[in-house]
Amino acid sequence: MLKAAYRIAWKDVAGDFRRRATLSSMLFFAISVLVVFQAAFEPDRKEALRLLPGLLWATTLFTTLVGLGRVFQAEEEDGAFEGLLLASVPRGVIFFGKWLGNLLLTLLVELMILPLTMVLFNVDVWRQAGEILGILTLGTVGLTGLGTLLAAMTQGARSRETLLALLLLPLTAPLLIAGVQAMAGILTGGEVTPWIRLMVIFDVIYLALTPWAFGWLVEE
Amino acid sequence: MKFLARMQAPLGVLTLIALAVGLWMVWNAPADFQQGGAVRILYLHVPSAKMSLFCYVFLTIASIVHLWKRSETADILAEAATAVGISFTGITLASGAIWGKPMWGTWWAWDARLTSMLVLLILYKGLMVLRHSMDDPTKGARATAILAIVGAVDLPIIHYSVVWWRTLHQPPSLAAAEKSGIHISGPLLPPLLAMSVAFILMGVYMLTLKARQIEAQRKLDALEAARLHHE
Repeated sequence: MLKAAYRIAWKDVAGDFRRRATLSSMLFFAISVLVVFQAAFEPDRKEALRLLPGLLWATTLFTTLVGLGRVFQAEEEDGAFEGLLLASVPRGVIFFGKWLGNLLLTLLVELMILPLTMVLFNVDVWRQAGEILGILTLGTVGLTGLGTLLAAMTQGARSRETLLALLLLPLTAPLLIAGVQAMAGILTGGEVTPWIRLMVIFDVIYLALTPWAFGWLVEE
Repeated sequence: MKFLARMQAPLGVLTLIALAVGLWMVWNAPADFQQGGAVRILYLHVPSAKMSLFCYVFLTIASIVHLWKRSETADILAEAATAVGISFTGITLASGAIWGKPMWGTWWAWDARLTSMLVLLILYKGLMVLRHSMDDPTKGARATAILAIVGAVDLPIIHYSVVWWRTLHQPPSLAAAEKSGIHISGPLLPPLLAMSVAFILMGVYMLTLKARQIEAQRKLDALEAARLHHE
């Protein structure tokens, strides 16, 4: 069962590595978002440190949207989605596989965004890089979990990318708030644990809920 | 649906009477010694805030019934509840801003309740857009129902996180101000109750009206599709 999910995820990740479609467009989108932030705020070093959690999360959020717009792209043609649904595993496992593939790609991009941000904004937080990445990962789990469900939901909708943003941003507000606060806590020595707990609760709820919801969604 | 059609006219009359009585009581209610006449906005604001949440509860139940029983009526009611809910949420935010300007000195503050309400407004809008962006209405109805349930799970988390966010960072000055509003003294209570009853009736009436309109619209769409198919 888990093997099936892993295979679906691997199909997406390996396919993307060969075409380099999603990964590179996510990365360059993230860079352009960072350029926009620099031009919009022109922070000095001190301000940049204060803004860093918000910068990282906003960039992550927008970049995730780019990736989510393509989660089901490979399945859009020639009835491939129906083919995938015909696989002899529960629908929840199929969802899990699609989510895992998207999560891996998004985490990979985040791994590159963090040093980029530090270089472009002249802030040095190398010592806390591990913790920051941990919090980013925690947020990304919920973000891509709910996002993959919404991507499936908006499949075949008109102007789906806009719709995806409209739906994802309000629903993931708790992750954004908790993520920014936890990261700020790490950088300035404030409260961290309650925010991490909130993110874990969010992740657990949505990882339990979304496979079921996906099953309902694709049922004929 | 036939039942709704018969109910509509008496319900409308009842709503009008309740609104008239409620507004008359608000007119005659004593002005608050701190807030002055502006407190009267709250008689509109509080019931409509309650209604925007009630509508979401109703919408969730209708969505579950639609997914479970595949009932078209439940889907029509869910669509109607979304439209009614977004109007009440809009009224809540607008009346709150009008009240906030003289009381807080600002139209908007990132207070926990205000933020949650704003998110609720966006969610309602998302539900409406999702439904109408699908070419296949059955698929649209199902996706919307699932989104409504996902939202119902999410709204408490959003509210909880926002409350936490605002109270950890700011002295809860706004919460304290709101608390003094919650201590409603005797003579202010009856008009609030009357307005709440009037708003519940108004919500049900709007729901009836909207549900019948959606039903008629769907019948019309089906006829149009059949005609096109025929040609």
